[in-house]
Amino acid sequence: MADTLDMVDKLLADLKNIGGVEASIAASRDGLLIRANMQKGKFLESLAAMSATMLGAAETATTQVEKGLPTRVIVESEYGRLIIVGAGPKALLIILANSNSSLGLILIELDKSARKLKEILK
Amino acid sequence: MVETGIPKLDEFLGGGIPKGKSLVYYSQPGVEGEIFGMQTVYNSLKSGGNCVFVVSSTIPSITKGLFKEFGWDIDEYRDRLFIVDAYNPLIGAPSDEKYVVSNPDNIENFNKVIIDLIKELPPSTIVFGSLSTIMDLCGEKETIESVKNWNKMAMLYNHVLVYNFTVWPYSQETLHLIKEELFNAVISIGSIAERVIFGQYFGILKSDWAKETKTSMLFRVLRPGGIKLFIPKILVTGPFDAGKSTFVHALSTRAISVDRLGTTIAMDHGHVDYKGFSADIFGTPGQERFDPIIKLLSGESMGVFLVVDSTNPADFVRAKHMLDITKSYGLPYVVVANKQDMPGALKLEEIREQFNLPDDVPVCPTVAKDKVGVFEAFEVLIEKITGGT
Ligand SMILES: Nc1nc2c(ncn2[C@@H]2O[C@H](COP(=O)(O)OP(=O)(O)OP(=O)(O)O)[C@@H](O)[C@H]2O)c(=O)[nH]1
Ligand SMILES: [Mg+2]
Repeated sequence: MADTLDMVDKLLADLKNIGGVEASIAASRDGLLIRANMQKGKFLESLAAMSATMLGAAETATTQVEKGLPTRVIVESEYGRLIIVGAGPKALLIILANSNSSLGLILIELDKSARKLKEILK
Repeated sequence: MVETGIPKLDEFLGGGIPKGKSLVYYSQPGVEGEIFGMQTVYNSLKSGGNCVFVVSSTIPSITKGLFKEFGWDIDEYRDRLFIVDAYNPLIGAPSDEKYVVSNPDNIENFNKVIIDLIKELPPSTIVFGSLSTIMDLCGEKETIESVKNWNKMAMLYNHVLVYNFTVWPYSQETLHLIKEELFNAVISIGSIAERVIFGQYFGILKSDWAKETKTSMLFRVLRPGGIKLFIPKILVTGPFDAGKSTFVHALSTRAISVDRLGTTIAMDHGHVDYKGFSADIFGTPGQERFDPIIKLLSGESMGVFLVVDSTNPADFVRAKHMLDITKSYGLPYVVVANKQDMPGALKLEEIREQFNLPDDVPVCPTVAKDKVGVFEAFEVLIEKITGGT
């Protein structure tokens, strides 16, 4: 168990090291915080819950209109972006990045990490 | 009785630790076990007792800093707190404490200081910050012999002895003695990974004065705050407009809602800190078009508030259906009879009848908009979730 969390921590730390990434968070599909790597972690629990809801709502919406599952949810906002990807049936990954970050790079790494997280939590 | 100060644990122990008894916090490496002893130190000081704290794994000033981090002002109780410094001599540093173990790698030195204190002080709570460190320095066999002796002495002089022990790979024999024989009570502290809930728990492994309880409790450590019982998810559901969002906000120390045009379209999320509990609350939407989201949010709940508008029995069918959608049957749940302030609000018995509720499901009256009854409802649900006694 401690080992699993160590692995999740490592994975999150690697994500956090990408330029412009301010926070990396692992949450359960139903909105519970698993682990986070973030400077000040005040609203983490709510962020995890909201992100799970957004991804879940997106998945429900696209599958209902037969467009398949969304690859990710990207929210562009005034001062940065929020990215959510599913990581297997149990978990999802959340990234908070500033506006200067390279979206392409983040997405590549994020997809890799999502596959890893899925394995870790198996 | 001396209370441990760990929420719920005292209740499980029938009030705390009787004078003359010993207790060990037996914790797996990697979990925050040492805080248990510290919380017991602070609690016994706060409730007017004398306390000895044997610091053996770091310098006492760092330990004092830790107490501060938890928001526990121990300076206030200076005259009743006796710190035994069993660390500074190890690194050749001078000690500011009155009680010093001059050679912390020699158990005889511990014996001298501890036995003197046991004889000198009126009945006190004596807490060992880390029995495992003492064992590492003085040897397993030697330490165990001394602990046996200390426990006997403490029994004679009516002290309470509390030890933090981390389960490093000691010999089978040592671990067996610690778990089964040396102490009157053993509290095990460990970690679990259950589906996606990664948490720390404690439970009573043994206690020779309280009746057995098999329950173990999840906890988390807050700074400030110390050990809080952790309830990762409580669901608040119920029909449209029943007052779910209002209820979540009334209960929570902080909460947010995704409401648009007066109705919840995603969720409410709140955090409750109350009477030693730390719980996260998930409120669902009520309208049927959001049922997919309701389903999505309801996994892993440990308990459910089913909120209904007491003036609107027409919605009770929907309410029952929502227990279905959220797969709440089998989980502890309470019916929150909200809007009791409104004219025409049904009485609790009427609601129970209309719902045809089983006897063991409580119905709690609330006026969520005025925060009336919400904490009572919380306590009722928590009692159902943690029960076990
Ligand atoms: N009189 C009275 N009104 C209340 C009470 N609790 C909530 N309300 C009111 O009921 C209305 C609905 O409250 P909400 O908390 O938004 O209800 P909800 O269950 O979250 O509603 P949905 O999310 O739309 O399903 C609001 O106007 C509240 O002010 C109460 O105890 N008494
Ligand atoms: Mg609402």
